[in-house]
Amino acid sequence: MTLDWWGLGLQAINVLILVWLLSRVFWRPIAGAITRRQDAAQAMLEEGKTAQAKADAALAEVVETRAGIAKERDAILAEAKAAADKATKAELKEAQSKADAMIAAARTAIDRDRNTARKENATRAAELSVEIAARLLGRFNTPAVQATFLAQLVEAIAGMSASDRTALIASADDIEIITATNPEDAERANIEQAVKDALDGTPSVRLVTDPSLIAGLELRSGHFVLHNSWRADLENVLKEVENAG
Amino acid sequence: MNSPLDSTVLFQIGPVPITQAIVTTWAIMAILVIGAFLLTRRLDLRPTRRQAALELMVATLDTQITETTGAAPAPYRGFIGTLFVFILVANWSSLVPGIDPPTAKLETDAALAVLVFLSVIWFGIRAGGVGGWLKTFAAPNPVMIPLNILQSLTRVFSMFVRLFGNVMSGVFVIGIVASLAGLLVPIPLMALDLLTGLVQAYIFAVLAMVFITSAVEDGARTQPTIDLAPSPTKKDS
Repeated sequence: MTLDWWGLGLQAINVLILVWLLSRVFWRPIAGAITRRQDAAQAMLEEGKTAQAKADAALAEVVETRAGIAKERDAILAEAKAAADKATKAELKEAQSKADAMIAAARTAIDRDRNTARKENATRAAELSVEIAARLLGRFNTPAVQATFLAQLVEAIAGMSASDRTALIASADDIEIITATNPEDAERANIEQAVKDALDGTPSVRLVTDPSLIAGLELRSGHFVLHNSWRADLENVLKEVENAG
Repeated sequence: MNSPLDSTVLFQIGPVPITQAIVTTWAIMAILVIGAFLLTRRLDLRPTRRQAALELMVATLDTQITETTGAAPAPYRGFIGTLFVFILVANWSSLVPGIDPPTAKLETDAALAVLVFLSVIWFGIRAGGVGGWLKTFAAPNPVMIPLNILQSLTRVFSMFVRLFGNVMSGVFVIGIVASLAGLLVPIPLMALDLLTGLVQAYIFAVLAMVFITSAVEDGARTQPTIDLAPSPTKKDS
Protein backbone atom coordinates (compact mmCIF):
# COMPACT_ATOMS: atom_id res chain seq x y z
CA MET A 1 0.00 0.00 0.00
CA THR A 2 1.44 3.28 -1.10
CA LEU A 3 0.23 6.82 -0.64
CA ASP A 4 -0.29 8.88 -3.78
CA TRP A 5 0.92 12.32 -2.74
CA TRP A 6 -0.34 13.90 -5.97
CA GLY A 7 -3.75 12.44 -5.27
CA LEU A 8 -3.61 13.62 -1.67
CA GLY A 9 -2.81 17.17 -2.68
CA LEU A 10 -5.34 17.18 -5.49
CA GLN A 11 -8.09 15.92 -3.19
CA ALA A 12 -7.19 18.52 -0.58
CA ILE A 13 -7.45 21.23 -3.21
CA ASN A 14 -10.73 19.73 -4.44
CA VAL A 15 -12.22 19.83 -0.93
CA LEU A 16 -10.95 23.35 -0.35
CA ILE A 17 -12.57 24.48 -3.60
CA LEU A 18 -15.75 22.68 -2.59
CA VAL A 19 -15.70 24.42 0.80
CA TRP A 20 -15.31 27.77 -0.91
CA LEU A 21 -18.00 27.10 -3.53
CA LEU A 22 -20.56 25.74 -1.11
CA SER A 23 -19.92 28.63 1.24
CA ARG A 24 -20.74 30.93 -1.67
CA VAL A 25 -23.76 29.20 -3.15
CA PHE A 26 -25.24 27.30 -0.23
CA TRP A 27 -24.30 28.13 3.35
CA ARG A 28 -24.19 31.90 3.13
CA PRO A 29 -27.39 32.38 1.10
CA ILE A 30 -29.41 30.14 3.38
CA ALA A 31 -27.91 31.62 6.55
CA GLY A 32 -28.57 35.05 5.06
CA ALA A 33 -32.18 34.11 4.40
CA ILE A 34 -32.53 32.95 7.99
CA THR A 35 -30.94 36.15 9.25
CA ARG A 36 -33.16 38.27 7.04
CA ARG A 37 -36.23 36.49 8.33
CA GLN A 38 -35.06 36.90 11.90
CA ASP A 39 -34.42 40.59 11.26
CA ALA A 40 -37.82 40.95 9.62
CA ALA A 41 -39.47 39.14 12.52
CA GLN A 42 -37.57 41.33 14.96
CA ALA A 43 -38.58 44.42 13.02
CA MET A 44 -42.19 43.23 13.01
CA LEU A 45 -41.96 42.59 16.74
CA GLU A 46 -40.51 46.06 17.28
CA GLU A 47 -43.20 47.50 15.02
CA GLY A 48 -45.79 45.55 16.95
CA LYS A 49 -44.40 46.84 20.23
CA THR A 50 -44.43 50.37 18.86
CA ALA A 51 -47.98 49.91 17.61
CA GLN A 52 -48.92 48.42 20.98
CA ALA A 53 -47.38 51.39 22.74
CA LYS A 54 -49.22 53.77 20.43
CA ALA A 55 -52.44 51.86 20.96
CA ASP A 56 -51.92 51.96 24.73
CA ALA A 57 -51.24 55.68 24.56
CA ALA A 58 -54.30 56.21 22.38
CA LEU A 59 -56.37 54.10 24.77
CA ALA A 60 -55.13 56.11 27.73
CA GLU A 61 -55.93 59.30 25.85
CA VAL A 62 -59.38 57.99 25.01
CA VAL A 63 -59.94 57.05 28.65
CA GLU A 64 -58.81 60.48 29.74
CA THR A 65 -60.95 62.15 27.09
CA ARG A 66 -63.90 60.01 28.14
CA ALA A 67 -63.39 61.05 31.75
CA GLY A 68 -63.22 64.67 30.62
CA ILE A 69 -66.36 64.20 28.56
CA ALA A 70 -68.15 62.67 31.54
CA LYS A 71 -67.05 65.55 33.73
CA GLU A 72 -68.09 68.07 31.11
CA ARG A 73 -71.38 66.23 30.69
CA ASP A 74 -72.04 66.38 34.42
CA ALA A 75 -71.22 70.09 34.41
CA ILE A 76 -73.48 70.72 31.43
CA LEU A 77 -76.25 68.68 33.05
CA ALA A 78 -75.88 70.60 36.30
CA GLU A 79 -75.87 73.89 34.43
CA ALA A 80 -78.89 72.84 32.38
CA LYS A 81 -80.68 71.73 35.55
CA ALA A 82 -79.95 75.06 37.22
CA ALA A 83 -81.14 76.92 34.12
CA ALA A 84 -84.24 74.73 33.95
CA ASP A 85 -84.96 75.34 37.63
CA LYS A 86 -84.50 79.06 37.13
CA ALA A 87 -86.70 79.05 34.05
CA THR A 88 -89.28 76.95 35.87
CA LYS A 89 -89.34 79.35 38.77
CA ALA A 90 -89.63 82.30 36.39
CA GLU A 91 -92.38 80.56 34.44
CA LEU A 92 -94.15 79.68 37.67
CA LYS A 93 -93.84 83.23 38.88
CA GLU A 94 -95.07 84.61 35.56
CA ALA A 95 -97.89 82.07 35.48
CA GLN A 96 -98.80 82.98 39.04
CA SER A 97 -98.82 86.65 38.09
CA LYS A 98 -100.95 85.96 35.03
CA ALA A 99 -103.26 83.79 37.07
CA ASP A 100 -103.57 86.52 39.70
CA ALA A 101 -104.21 89.10 36.98
CA MET A 102 -106.77 86.81 35.36
CA ILE A 103 -108.43 86.18 38.71
CA ALA A 104 -108.52 89.90 39.41
CA ALA A 105 -109.87 90.60 35.92
CA ALA A 106 -112.41 87.83 36.35
CA ARG A 107 -113.44 89.25 39.69
CA THR A 108 -113.71 92.70 38.15
CA ALA A 109 -115.73 91.30 35.27
CA ILE A 110 -117.88 89.35 37.67
CA ASP A 111 -118.44 92.49 39.76
CA ARG A 112 -119.17 94.47 36.64
CA ASP A 113 -121.52 91.83 35.32
CA ARG A 114 -123.08 91.54 38.73
CA ASN A 115 -123.58 95.32 38.88
CA THR A 116 -124.87 95.37 35.34
CA ALA A 117 -127.21 92.51 36.11
CA ARG A 118 -128.26 94.16 39.34
CA LYS A 119 -128.91 97.42 37.49
CA GLU A 120 -130.75 95.60 34.77
CA ASN A 121 -132.73 93.75 37.37
CA ALA A 122 -133.41 96.99 39.20
CA THR A 123 -134.40 98.69 35.96
CA ARG A 124 -136.56 95.74 35.03
CA ALA A 125 -138.07 95.69 38.53
CA ALA A 126 -138.74 99.42 38.34
CA GLU A 127 -140.26 99.07 34.93
CA LEU A 128 -142.31 96.16 36.20
CA SER A 129 -143.32 98.20 39.22
CA VAL A 130 -144.28 101.11 37.03
CA GLU A 131 -146.24 98.79 34.78
CA ILE A 132 -147.96 97.23 37.80
CA ALA A 133 -148.66 100.67 39.21
CA ALA A 134 -149.94 101.82 35.84
CA ARG A 135 -152.34 98.92 35.71
CA LEU A 136 -153.42 99.47 39.26
CA LEU A 137 -153.83 103.19 38.74
CA GLY A 138 -155.76 102.51 35.58
CA ARG A 139 -158.50 101.09 37.78
CA PHE A 140 -158.81 104.29 39.75
CA ASN A 141 -159.34 106.56 36.73
CA THR A 142 -162.57 107.94 38.20
CA PRO A 143 -164.29 111.31 37.49
CA ALA A 144 -163.03 112.56 40.82
CA VAL A 145 -159.46 111.78 39.85
CA GLN A 146 -160.07 113.36 36.52
CA ALA A 147 -161.40 116.48 38.21
CA THR A 148 -158.35 116.54 40.41
CA PHE A 149 -156.06 116.36 37.42
CA LEU A 150 -158.07 119.13 35.78
CA ALA A 151 -157.65 121.26 38.85
CA GLN A 152 -153.93 120.55 38.91
CA LEU A 153 -153.71 121.44 35.20
CA VAL A 154 -155.41 124.67 35.77
CA GLU A 155 -153.20 125.38 38.73
CA ALA A 156 -150.10 124.56 36.63
CA ILE A 157 -151.24 126.89 33.90
CA ALA A 158 -151.79 129.51 36.47
CA GLY A 159 -148.32 128.91 37.77
CA MET A 160 -146.82 129.60 34.37
CA SER A 161 -145.26 132.99 33.79
CA ALA A 162 -147.32 135.48 31.93
CA SER A 163 -144.92 135.58 29.03
CA ASP A 164 -145.05 131.75 28.66
CA ARG A 165 -148.80 131.81 28.83
CA THR A 166 -148.92 134.59 26.23
CA ALA A 167 -146.52 132.75 23.93
CA LEU A 168 -148.59 129.62 24.29
CA ILE A 169 -151.77 131.43 23.43
CA ALA A 170 -150.14 133.24 20.53
CA SER A 171 -148.79 130.10 18.92
CA ALA A 172 -150.34 129.38 15.61
CA ASP A 173 -150.72 125.70 16.26
CA ASP A 174 -153.71 124.22 17.94
CA ILE A 175 -153.37 123.50 21.58
CA GLU A 176 -154.12 119.88 22.29
CA ILE A 177 -155.60 118.68 25.53
CA ILE A 178 -154.63 115.01 25.95
CA THR A 179 -156.94 112.86 28.01
CA ALA A 180 -156.66 109.20 28.94
CA THR A 181 -160.30 108.42 28.19
CA ASN A 182 -162.73 109.89 25.76
CA PRO A 183 -164.89 112.16 27.98
CA GLU A 184 -168.55 112.87 27.69
CA ASP A 185 -169.55 115.99 25.82
CA ALA A 186 -170.38 117.84 29.02
CA GLU A 187 -167.16 116.91 30.59
CA ARG A 188 -165.27 117.71 27.38
CA ALA A 189 -166.86 121.19 27.36
CA ASN A 190 -166.03 121.61 30.99
CA ILE A 191 -162.41 120.73 30.39
CA GLU A 192 -162.08 123.03 27.38
CA GLN A 193 -163.70 125.84 29.24
CA ALA A 194 -161.50 125.38 32.28
CA VAL A 195 -158.35 125.42 30.17
CA LYS A 196 -159.44 128.45 28.23
CA ASP A 197 -160.20 130.20 31.46
CA ALA A 198 -156.86 129.29 32.86
CA LEU A 199 -155.14 130.55 29.75
CA ASP A 200 -157.17 133.62 30.05
CA GLY A 201 -157.97 133.82 26.39
CA THR A 202 -159.66 132.15 23.53
CA PRO A 203 -157.12 129.89 22.07
CA SER A 204 -157.98 127.09 19.72
CA VAL A 205 -157.97 123.86 21.74
CA ARG A 206 -158.67 120.37 20.60
CA LEU A 207 -159.29 117.38 22.81
CA VAL A 208 -157.29 114.23 22.01
CA THR A 209 -157.50 110.84 23.68
CA ASP A 210 -154.36 108.96 24.65
CA PRO A 211 -154.90 105.87 26.89
CA SER A 212 -151.21 105.70 27.70
CA LEU A 213 -151.68 108.56 30.11
CA ILE A 214 -153.54 106.14 32.47
CA ALA A 215 -155.21 109.10 34.07
CA GLY A 216 -154.77 112.85 33.82
CA LEU A 217 -154.74 115.77 31.45
CA GLU A 218 -151.84 117.15 29.52
CA LEU A 219 -151.44 120.22 27.45
CA ARG A 220 -149.43 120.10 24.22
CA SER A 221 -148.64 122.46 21.40
CA GLY A 222 -145.99 122.57 18.70
CA HIS A 223 -143.29 123.65 21.15
CA PHE A 224 -144.80 123.09 24.53
CA VAL A 225 -145.87 120.17 26.69
CA LEU A 226 -147.38 120.39 30.16
CA HIS A 227 -147.31 116.98 31.79
CA ASN A 228 -150.08 116.21 34.19
CA SER A 229 -150.81 112.50 34.25
CA TRP A 230 -149.95 109.35 36.12
CA ARG A 231 -147.93 108.30 33.14
CA ALA A 232 -145.75 111.33 33.51
CA ASP A 233 -145.60 110.80 37.25
CA LEU A 234 -144.60 107.17 36.84
CA GLU A 235 -141.97 108.12 34.26
CA ASN A 236 -140.58 110.64 36.67
CA VAL A 237 -140.54 108.04 39.44
CA LEU A 238 -138.87 105.56 37.13
CA LYS A 239 -136.19 108.08 36.18
CA GLU A 240 -135.57 108.91 39.78
CA VAL A 241 -135.28 105.20 40.66
CA GLU A 242 -132.89 104.62 37.78
CA ASN A 243 -130.84 107.60 38.70
CA ALA A 244 -130.76 106.46 42.30
CA GLY A 245 -129.47 103.01 41.25
CA MET B 1 -11.60 -8.19 -7.93
CA ASN B 2 -9.16 -5.37 -7.50
CA SER B 3 -7.78 -4.62 -4.07
CA PRO B 4 -9.58 -1.67 -2.48
CA LEU B 5 -6.24 -0.43 -1.34
CA ASP B 6 -5.16 0.15 -4.92
CA SER B 7 -6.07 3.31 -6.82
CA THR B 8 -7.15 3.00 -10.42
CA VAL B 9 -5.41 5.63 -12.56
CA LEU B 10 -7.75 6.71 -15.32
CA PHE B 11 -5.48 9.16 -17.08
CA GLN B 12 -2.49 11.34 -16.52
CA ILE B 13 -2.17 15.12 -16.56
CA GLY B 14 1.54 15.71 -16.82
CA PRO B 15 3.11 14.11 -13.82
CA VAL B 16 -0.24 14.03 -11.99
CA PRO B 17 -2.08 10.73 -12.15
CA ILE B 18 -5.85 11.23 -12.19
CA THR B 19 -7.41 8.36 -10.30
CA GLN B 20 -11.01 7.24 -10.24
CA ALA B 21 -11.38 8.70 -6.73
CA ILE B 22 -10.41 12.14 -8.03
CA VAL B 23 -12.85 11.97 -10.93
CA THR B 24 -15.59 10.78 -8.57
CA THR B 25 -14.74 13.68 -6.26
CA TRP B 26 -15.07 16.09 -9.18
CA ALA B 27 -18.44 14.60 -10.05
CA ILE B 28 -19.58 14.89 -6.44
CA MET B 29 -18.36 18.49 -6.34
CA ALA B 30 -20.24 19.30 -9.53
CA ILE B 31 -23.41 17.69 -8.26
CA LEU B 32 -23.18 19.45 -4.91
CA VAL B 33 -22.37 22.87 -6.33
CA ILE B 34 -24.94 22.76 -9.11
CA GLY B 35 -27.54 21.31 -6.78
CA ALA B 36 -26.81 23.95 -4.15
CA PHE B 37 -27.02 26.66 -6.79
CA LEU B 38 -30.36 25.39 -8.06
CA LEU B 39 -31.77 24.94 -4.58
CA THR B 40 -30.82 28.41 -3.39
CA ARG B 41 -31.87 30.38 -6.46
CA ARG B 42 -35.13 31.78 -5.06
CA LEU B 43 -34.87 32.42 -1.36
CA ASP B 44 -37.60 34.58 0.05
CA LEU B 45 -38.87 35.85 3.40
CA ARG B 46 -41.86 33.54 2.94
CA PRO B 47 -40.11 30.18 2.56
CA THR B 48 -41.31 27.36 0.35
CA ARG B 49 -41.13 23.80 1.62
CA ARG B 50 -37.82 23.37 -0.17
CA GLN B 51 -36.39 26.52 1.42
CA ALA B 52 -37.77 25.51 4.80
CA ALA B 53 -36.04 22.11 4.51
CA LEU B 54 -32.75 23.78 3.57
CA GLU B 55 -33.08 26.25 6.44
CA LEU B 56 -33.88 23.40 8.79
CA MET B 57 -30.67 21.68 7.69
CA VAL B 58 -28.57 24.80 8.23
CA ALA B 59 -30.27 25.55 11.54
CA THR B 60 -29.61 21.98 12.70
CA LEU B 61 -25.95 22.31 11.73
CA ASP B 62 -25.73 25.64 13.55
CA THR B 63 -27.31 24.08 16.61
CA GLN B 64 -24.83 21.24 16.53
CA ILE B 65 -21.92 23.66 16.23
CA THR B 66 -23.25 25.84 19.01
CA GLU B 67 -23.94 22.91 21.32
CA THR B 68 -20.50 21.45 20.63
CA THR B 69 -18.46 24.62 20.87
CA GLY B 70 -20.65 27.17 22.55
CA ALA B 71 -19.45 29.65 19.95
CA ALA B 72 -21.24 31.46 17.13
CA PRO B 73 -21.58 29.01 14.24
CA ALA B 74 -20.98 31.43 11.34
CA PRO B 75 -17.14 31.10 11.04
CA TYR B 76 -17.21 27.29 11.10
CA ARG B 77 -20.45 26.62 9.25
CA GLY B 78 -18.93 26.52 5.76
CA PHE B 79 -15.99 24.26 6.61
CA ILE B 80 -17.71 21.83 8.98
CA GLY B 81 -20.90 21.67 6.93
CA THR B 82 -19.06 21.06 3.69
CA LEU B 83 -16.95 18.36 5.33
CA PHE B 84 -20.07 16.61 6.55
CA VAL B 85 -21.97 16.89 3.26
CA PHE B 86 -18.99 15.86 1.13
CA ILE B 87 -18.09 12.85 3.29
CA LEU B 88 -21.74 11.78 3.46
CA VAL B 89 -22.26 11.99 -0.30
CA ALA B 90 -18.89 10.38 -0.93
CA ASN B 91 -19.72 7.50 1.43
CA TRP B 92 -23.17 7.02 -0.11
CA SER B 93 -21.76 7.10 -3.63
CA SER B 94 -20.89 3.43 -3.11
CA LEU B 95 -24.56 2.70 -3.84
CA VAL B 96 -24.03 3.72 -7.46
CA PRO B 97 -22.98 0.61 -9.34
CA GLY B 98 -19.40 0.70 -10.54
CA ILE B 99 -18.46 3.65 -8.32
CA ASP B 100 -16.01 3.32 -5.46
CA PRO B 101 -16.44 6.02 -2.84
CA PRO B 102 -13.54 8.47 -2.74
CA THR B 103 -13.45 8.14 1.05
CA ALA B 104 -12.52 4.47 0.61
CA LYS B 105 -9.12 5.67 -0.66
CA LEU B 106 -6.29 6.74 1.58
CA GLU B 107 -5.51 9.88 -0.36
CA THR B 108 -8.98 11.40 0.09
CA ASP B 109 -9.21 10.65 3.80
CA ALA B 110 -5.65 11.84 4.32
CA ALA B 111 -6.44 15.04 2.44
CA LEU B 112 -9.48 15.61 4.65
CA ALA B 113 -7.39 14.98 7.76
CA VAL B 114 -4.71 17.37 6.55
CA LEU B 115 -7.36 20.02 5.96
CA VAL B 116 -8.70 19.52 9.49
CA PHE B 117 -5.15 19.76 10.85
CA LEU B 118 -4.55 22.97 8.94
CA SER B 119 -7.94 24.39 9.89
CA VAL B 120 -7.17 23.80 13.57
CA ILE B 121 -4.02 25.83 13.13
CA TRP B 122 -5.82 28.51 11.09
CA PHE B 123 -8.74 28.97 13.48
CA GLY B 124 -6.40 28.78 16.50
CA ILE B 125 -4.13 31.50 15.17
CA ARG B 126 -7.12 33.61 14.09
CA ALA B 127 -8.61 33.40 17.56
CA GLY B 128 -5.55 33.89 19.73
CA GLY B 129 -2.71 34.88 17.43
CA VAL B 130 0.40 32.84 16.78
CA GLY B 131 1.56 33.19 20.35
CA GLY B 132 -1.77 32.16 21.76
CA TRP B 133 -1.93 29.16 19.47
CA LEU B 134 1.61 28.07 20.38
CA LYS B 135 0.81 28.46 24.05
CA THR B 136 -1.98 25.90 23.66
CA PHE B 137 0.75 23.28 23.39
CA ALA B 138 2.04 24.27 26.84
CA ALA B 139 -1.31 23.67 28.50
CA PRO B 140 -1.76 22.75 31.28
CA ASN B 141 2.05 23.03 31.75
CA PRO B 142 5.14 23.08 29.52
CA VAL B 143 5.90 19.47 30.36
CA MET B 144 2.93 18.56 28.18
CA ILE B 145 4.36 20.22 25.05
CA PRO B 146 5.73 16.99 23.44
CA LEU B 147 2.58 15.12 24.29
CA ASN B 148 0.34 17.87 22.95
CA ILE B 149 2.29 18.02 19.70
CA LEU B 150 2.05 14.27 19.39
CA GLN B 151 -1.64 14.38 20.22
CA SER B 152 -2.34 16.98 17.55
CA LEU B 153 -0.81 14.68 14.98
CA THR B 154 -2.17 11.38 16.19
CA ARG B 155 -5.75 12.55 16.62
CA VAL B 156 -5.84 13.70 13.02
CA PHE B 157 -4.20 10.49 11.94
CA SER B 158 -6.79 8.51 13.86
CA MET B 159 -9.56 10.49 12.18
CA PHE B 160 -8.53 9.60 8.70
CA VAL B 161 -7.66 6.02 9.57
CA ARG B 162 -11.07 5.60 11.21
CA LEU B 163 -12.87 6.99 8.20
CA PHE B 164 -10.76 5.07 5.74
CA GLY B 165 -11.07 1.80 7.68
CA ASN B 166 -14.85 1.97 8.04
CA VAL B 167 -15.62 2.98 4.48
CA MET B 168 -12.99 0.77 2.89
CA SER B 169 -14.06 -2.24 4.97
CA GLY B 170 -17.67 -1.69 3.97
CA VAL B 171 -16.82 -1.55 0.33
CA PHE B 172 -14.52 -4.56 0.76
CA VAL B 173 -17.14 -6.66 2.49
CA ILE B 174 -19.82 -5.73 -0.03
CA GLY B 175 -17.41 -6.59 -2.86
CA ILE B 176 -16.62 -10.00 -1.39
CA VAL B 177 -20.26 -10.81 -0.70
CA ALA B 178 -21.31 -9.60 -4.14
CA SER B 179 -18.65 -11.81 -5.73
CA LEU B 180 -19.97 -14.81 -3.80
CA ALA B 181 -23.73 -14.17 -4.01
CA GLY B 182 -24.45 -11.20 -6.25
CA LEU B 183 -28.28 -11.20 -6.04
CA LEU B 184 -30.09 -9.61 -3.08
CA VAL B 185 -27.61 -10.82 -0.45
CA PRO B 186 -25.48 -7.59 -0.38
CA ILE B 187 -28.55 -5.39 0.12
CA PRO B 188 -28.59 -5.60 3.96
CA LEU B 189 -24.87 -4.90 3.96
CA MET B 190 -25.43 -1.92 1.68
CA ALA B 191 -28.09 -0.60 4.04
CA LEU B 192 -25.67 -1.03 6.89
CA ASP B 193 -23.10 0.76 4.76
CA LEU B 194 -25.52 3.70 4.43
CA LEU B 195 -25.77 3.93 8.21
CA THR B 196 -22.04 3.58 8.59
CA GLY B 197 -21.45 6.31 6.02
CA LEU B 198 -23.80 8.67 7.86
CA VAL B 199 -22.28 7.94 11.25
CA GLN B 200 -18.74 8.32 9.94
CA ALA B 201 -19.52 11.64 8.28
CA TYR B 202 -21.11 12.88 11.50
CA ILE B 203 -18.17 11.65 13.63
CA PHE B 204 -15.61 13.22 11.31
CA ALA B 205 -17.41 16.57 11.30
CA VAL B 206 -17.99 16.61 15.05
CA LEU B 207 -14.38 15.63 15.79
CA ALA B 208 -13.12 18.35 13.46
CA MET B 209 -15.34 20.82 15.26
CA VAL B 210 -14.12 19.65 18.65
CA PHE B 211 -10.47 19.96 17.62
CA ILE B 212 -11.02 23.43 16.19
CA THR B 213 -12.93 24.49 19.28
CA SER B 214 -10.19 23.21 21.52
CA ALA B 215 -7.60 25.28 19.74
CA VAL B 216 -9.87 28.34 19.60
CA GLU B 217 -10.83 28.19 23.26
CA ASP B 218 -7.27 27.60 24.44
CA GLY B 219 -5.97 30.39 22.24
CA ALA B 220 -8.65 32.79 23.37
CA ARG B 221 -8.09 31.88 27.00
CA THR B 222 -4.34 32.61 26.81
CA GLN B 223 -4.81 35.83 24.78
CA PRO B 224 -4.73 38.96 27.02
CA THR B 225 -7.77 41.19 26.95
CA ILE B 226 -7.34 44.03 24.49
CA ASP B 227 -9.02 47.33 25.30
CA LEU B 228 -9.95 48.97 22.01
CA ALA B 229 -10.89 52.23 23.69
CA PRO B 230 -8.25 55.02 23.41
CA SER B 231 -6.18 55.34 26.52
CA PRO B 232 -6.11 58.89 27.96
CA THR B 233 -2.91 58.12 29.82
CA LYS B 234 -1.08 57.45 26.57
CA LYS B 235 -2.48 60.59 25.00
CA ASP B 236 -1.36 62.67 27.93
CA SER B 237 2.09 61.20 27.82
